[in-house]
Amino acid sequence: MKKLNIVLLIILLIFSLFSLFPIYWTVITALKVNSEIFTTTPVFFPTKITFSNFYTPGQTFGAVSQTAFGSLPWLINSTVIALLSSLIGTFLIGAPAAYALTHYLKNVWFGRTVLLMMMIPEAALIIPFYVIIIRVNLINTWWGLTLVYLSFTAPLSTWLLMGFFGDLPRSVEEAASIDGLSAYRIFYRIALPMVMPGIIVSIILNFINAWNEFLYALVLTYTPFPSGAQTVPIFLTDFIVIEKSFAWGGLAAAGVIVIIPSIVIGIYAQKYLVRGWTMGAVKE
Amino acid sequence: MLLLREFQYIQVKMNRKQAAKIGLVLASPLLIYFLVFFVYPIFLLFRYAFTSSSGALSLSNFAAMTRDPLLYSSLVNTLYYFVGSVAVQFSVGFLAAIILNSYTGRLRNVFRMILYIPLTISPIVIALMWLLIFNPTYGPIDYILRRPVNWLGSPNLAMPTIIVANGWEYVPFVFLIIYAGLQSVPKQYYEAASIDGMNRLQTFRYITMPSIRPIMIIAFLLNSIGILQGFTLVYVLTNGGPGFSTYILSFYIYKVAFTYFNMHYAAALSLLFIFIVAVFVYAMLKLTSVEKYLGISRAGGNE
Repeated sequence: MKKLNIVLLIILLIFSLFSLFPIYWTVITALKVNSEIFTTTPVFFPTKITFSNFYTPGQTFGAVSQTAFGSLPWLINSTVIALLSSLIGTFLIGAPAAYALTHYLKNVWFGRTVLLMMMIPEAALIIPFYVIIIRVNLINTWWGLTLVYLSFTAPLSTWLLMGFFGDLPRSVEEAASIDGLSAYRIFYRIALPMVMPGIIVSIILNFINAWNEFLYALVLTYTPFPSGAQTVPIFLTDFIVIEKSFAWGGLAAAGVIVIIPSIVIGIYAQKYLVRGWTMGAVKE
Repeated sequence: MLLLREFQYIQVKMNRKQAAKIGLVLASPLLIYFLVFFVYPIFLLFRYAFTSSSGALSLSNFAAMTRDPLLYSSLVNTLYYFVGSVAVQFSVGFLAAIILNSYTGRLRNVFRMILYIPLTISPIVIALMWLLIFNPTYGPIDYILRRPVNWLGSPNLAMPTIIVANGWEYVPFVFLIIYAGLQSVPKQYYEAASIDGMNRLQTFRYITMPSIRPIMIIAFLLNSIGILQGFTLVYVLTNGGPGFSTYILSFYIYKVAFTYFNMHYAAALSLLFIFIVAVFVYAMLKLTSVEKYLGISRAGGNE
């Protein structure tokens, strides 16, 4: 038994190495000086640590950018849009719909519709979204991208919360309705607070998805804050294309800035994730 | 505990019409959004797809599909990418879950956390990471292998490289769900199995596998959704190349629409994509009991 455990431990350590190495490599590249980045004998443990890839006075994004600090205007857009689409998707659309679907609208087609909304690939909807957003004159704006992002935050939120609302003990709601509370009040005052873990996981997952979204932002935005709504993944792409061959330090530093928020809140959400994804089919 | 959840309804004296009305009011934001941002877009796709650029009603876009070699190779590449990704992500994720589940040391939760982290990382940063790591001149992989390999520049290696990079992000997804499924198998089942004298393999075959089957199917469904969304890695790592060797359908649609500005043909391609996905989902629903597992429909039919 003990021997087996040691073998398993070694395999798990190898898995962990695969899991962490790309992150480790990106982080140390961000902290390295150029002479340790551009060497044919890769430096696995940097001897000199520098923060100049994150910020060097006088250098911003543009033709001469070599540092990650220039990403600030894009970070502002990403934060605002991810927050808007995550909060609206959860509170205004997902939560009431999930409650309705688990308590009042029994028809299987409602659930299937939510699944359908999640399944349709982004690439298949980008053309009509582009046409609609141009037509309502919201191209390159926070609200334009938020409206489009709701196409994945709202169904995911509904999906996740259906699992949580479906598990509510019905006695509590019965008691509330006997006390004379209206159905809407029961939803808002009783049921919603009881599924707080679900609400949190919905907000977090939607935030991560919106924060990481690429295709819609690529097509629907084209300038950074304050003139436009271009988000950080697009900044990184341009950075990669422009700086591909020489500013690896700045590139890696920008990458580190982008992954910090999603890793931190991702770890926080971890314990509720599986239950949410599987609509409560697995409880931990 | 593995629970097949059933829907619960408030058992108050409320007639059906009233219940439906309350339900529709609560679901109205979603329904309105669905109409404006799903039904209407699909209507727009049909309108574009069935007209030529002059605006006349025509089937020319669909006729063009039948003699488009790039569409053909995009479909083949999409299949390659899909099957490869599913195979990698399922086998590695499954293996990692089984191993962690059998491991009884203290570091269990630490490993779970470590193996989960890649899932939270943005695809664009993953592209960046692999550009750094797979670089033939300065990258660590080629240094360890002792020879420079042009991972992304060779038609044979580009797609496998994308599959690996994509797998790095989504293996944790499969891992996390299956691991949770394994953890939820009741201990008594294993006790009973050992009393019956089953060996490890038999226990796995007759206890573990049937218990986690619903979870595997759910994981497969959700994992497929994520894989079909793939676009970013191709766009950033290879831009469809070298040649057209990593053109997948989503990338091809983007190219036709926003590089060649042929919206009508791109709309027809989008409909084809939706059709393929719909057939896949329909098959999943018909062939498996995934809806029952998820609680979308109750066993024994719905009203």
